[in-house]
Amino acid sequence: MPKRVITLTVNGETHEVAVEPWWTLLYTVREELGLTGSKEGCGTGDCGACSMLLDGRLVTSCIVLAVEADGCQVTTIEGLAQGGQLHPVQQAFVEKGAVQCGYCIPGMVMAAYDLLRRQPDPTLEEVRLALAGNLCRCTGYTKIYEAVLAAAERMRLEGARG
Amino acid sequence: MARETLERPRFRHVGRPVDRIDATAKVTGQTVYGDDLRLPRLLHVKLVHAPVAHARIRRIGASKALAVPGVEAVLTAADLPPHRTNPDARAQVLLASDEVLFYGQPVAAVLARDPYTAAYARDLVEVEYEELPAVVDPLEAMRDDAPLARTGAIRDADRSEEQGHITVEAQQEQAQSHPSNVSSSITFRRGDVEAGFAEADAVVEGTWRSSMVHQSYIEPHVIIADYDASGELSIWSSTQAPFHVRHEVARTLGLPEARVRVTATEVGGGFGGKIYLYEPLVAALAMAVRRPVKLTMSRREDMLAATPAPQAVVQLKAGMKADGTLVALQARVIYDAGAFPGAPVLPGCLLIGGSYKCPNLDIQGFEVLTNKVSVGALRAPGAPHVAFALESAMDMLAQRLELDPLEVRLKNAVEKGDPLPSGQPYPAIGLKECLEAIARTDIWRERRRIRQHPHRGVGLAVGGWLGGLQPASATVGLNADGTINVTVGAADITGTNTSFAQIAAEELNLPLEMVSVVTGDTRTAPYAGMSAGSKTTYTVGRAVKLAAEDARQQILAIASQRLEVPAEELEMQDGVVRARGQPEKQVTFRELGRLTTGFGARYAPIVGRGAITARRQAPGFTAQVAEVEVDPDTGQVTVLRYAVAQDVGFAINPKSVEGQMQGGAAQGLGIALFEEMVYDEKGRLLNPNLLDYRLPTARDVPPIEAIIVEVPSEEGPYGARIVGEPSIVPGPAAVANAVADAVGARVFEAPLTPERVLRALGKLRD
Repeated sequence: MPKRVITLTVNGETHEVAVEPWWTLLYTVREELGLTGSKEGCGTGDCGACSMLLDGRLVTSCIVLAVEADGCQVTTIEGLAQGGQLHPVQQAFVEKGAVQCGYCIPGMVMAAYDLLRRQPDPTLEEVRLALAGNLCRCTGYTKIYEAVLAAAERMRLEGARG
Repeated sequence: MARETLERPRFRHVGRPVDRIDATAKVTGQTVYGDDLRLPRLLHVKLVHAPVAHARIRRIGASKALAVPGVEAVLTAADLPPHRTNPDARAQVLLASDEVLFYGQPVAAVLARDPYTAAYARDLVEVEYEELPAVVDPLEAMRDDAPLARTGAIRDADRSEEQGHITVEAQQEQAQSHPSNVSSSITFRRGDVEAGFAEADAVVEGTWRSSMVHQSYIEPHVIIADYDASGELSIWSSTQAPFHVRHEVARTLGLPEARVRVTATEVGGGFGGKIYLYEPLVAALAMAVRRPVKLTMSRREDMLAATPAPQAVVQLKAGMKADGTLVALQARVIYDAGAFPGAPVLPGCLLIGGSYKCPNLDIQGFEVLTNKVSVGALRAPGAPHVAFALESAMDMLAQRLELDPLEVRLKNAVEKGDPLPSGQPYPAIGLKECLEAIARTDIWRERRRIRQHPHRGVGLAVGGWLGGLQPASATVGLNADGTINVTVGAADITGTNTSFAQIAAEELNLPLEMVSVVTGDTRTAPYAGMSAGSKTTYTVGRAVKLAAEDARQQILAIASQRLEVPAEELEMQDGVVRARGQPEKQVTFRELGRLTTGFGARYAPIVGRGAITARRQAPGFTAQVAEVEVDPDTGQVTVLRYAVAQDVGFAINPKSVEGQMQGGAAQGLGIALFEEMVYDEKGRLLNPNLLDYRLPTARDVPPIEAIIVEVPSEEGPYGARIVGEPSIVPGPAAVANAVADAVGARVFEAPLTPERVLRALGKLRD
């Protein structure tokens, strides 16, 4: 079966990529585009380490086929920091000590970013629910909750300042 | 942040919370893990995993797999280059050649241009097996009429993983002469246990079972090997133990250690499960095909064929006097090693008899072989299993005697000078201080009110770990611009390099930003032991401190010559060396850097050296308390609040230390409530994925209160002691005690699944 050429716009940059029909979005982004920030932890959509935004929706890219993403906009962890400036979610993860081994962190940050776009003022319980699809084995989640709530507060203040 | 701290000197950096130096790279996705590395001409490996638990291999047919375009080779044990094999050591049976000992054991390797092709071709490799009787349950395996898990007795067991985590002077006995699945045993006796029970006012007993669990690091194992034309072997591995990997690979493949370079890539979680396993195999494959070769395990492969933590059965009888004095402990501790020896019998036995003062002990430990994947270390290996039994029994005794469970523990808690079952006395430890800290938590103080709720309760448990010991070394160099480089050989898995930056900056009185810490590979870095056994800060931290002190002396010696002021009259701050009271007499680190590195430089480079050996442990204890709610209809247990108090000696970076305490406690909750590798009667793993193997999620883990207790150790840097491991230990017991407190039913098997809770409530019958 010949490869199929698809168009992916990743972090604002458009690429034409020749993919095998069985390649996942995660594999394609990592191997063909060299964006290795997104991680494979399970390959079955259960751990969330590969989380990215596909046309604005949070997906586990290890169970999305590349051909399904043809023509779509993709945001990965590499697309969050702007002009060398960490996104407030990333900054809060650093400051709150929410990062240990770091393998879950790209997916965790994407899930937190996605939550705060939808709900700028989440409760602790909303944070816990939103991150329930992202497994972290190191932190016991506590400092991650603190980071997401701190990021929300900072983003609200920055938003209020305009 | 709560912190129970003794009086101590004021420090500029150590003891203060700082951000991890690697955090920015991690939140941006820039950190390079093993699977992110790219090498030219790289081949991808997929292993053929045996679909039977015990069998003889009759034939391996590779022709269909080899016909797949993109497949470069299919190799069996017979195709590997000459190497040392040891049938008793898991990592030295590179591929099963004759007898398959567990479901998932690798029997062949497929090498292809990409992982999809390798996986596709792997399924086309034809292996004929002659099935042999498999033994799966450890208690059945101990029976005289049980089938043997393997032909051939154990002669040369590899216990290096255990010794890396816990270094004590006691040895397991090798198996007896007649064929048996018991591969080793150990006995500790003190006093007269029968006399102890005779004087007890209450005696409780029970059998506690803990399930096989997986470390479940989010990054599965990754290993790359390349053997170049000059005969040099390079390995990149997600290992916690680069020097150990070098030693074992060199020994297995007959290479000088000087020709083997092991780079520990960023470890995406290890918890004891990434010491050393497939490195010799991947290196042998690279030598066979003379191309770089990469093994990235899938989650399923990792769950089938890495080294999870053992199942255990603990039979315990405990006696106490009416005043709460523990007088007798009798235990039979059985760990299921799986197909190769290496179960943590020794630490289990030491801790079940070494957590409380007790004059009469009779402790027997057994390591049993079965046809399951062989086990490895998981954070305080063996300890949660025995704490589950011991801490449940302590609550049962307190209840029987109508005593306060915290007071009972305080009365009997081990302290400095008390002997382990082996006779070795404890150094200064902080178990009592941890209990006192837990007594002050809201959860504990509110327990009577909480109990008024019909289905809520509070449970307490303690646990500890003794820690591993290995030598360590470090260098501290001054750069031409006055900045400082610290080089170590220990993989940084818990933020240790950040702590080392704090230590070097403290000793040189510098801003943290002037110090960089790097973990070198085994060709460039000074030696360090494995990052396991909670020893990295305790040992390598001391070496870094010595190296920084050495660099400081070298800097002062040169400054003294330049300024013509005796070294004792110099002071050092923020990269400037000054004569005390004569501020005009000063020289900067930048000037000293040029004077020691420039063309025709007058002085030799400044390289501080620190090398230590550690012979004394600094055990860490923790007390933890859980508030739970039990749904009486479904048996579901929800943890509402949780607190952990842990003696860390001195928290060099409290932010990292709290993270270790919270992370370990959450793993304890996983063992308590969810995690279980389920094997069927034929030894097949039924849940090798993260949907059916249930890890604690954000919905399951409430914010965990961390209370740092600091009872200084005698040898650790600034009084620091072991940190990483103890926090996992009490979880199952704390939850079981809370469930018993909530609904009056005691569960003797972890995880406390809804089914087991309902059974304990008498609402389910077989």
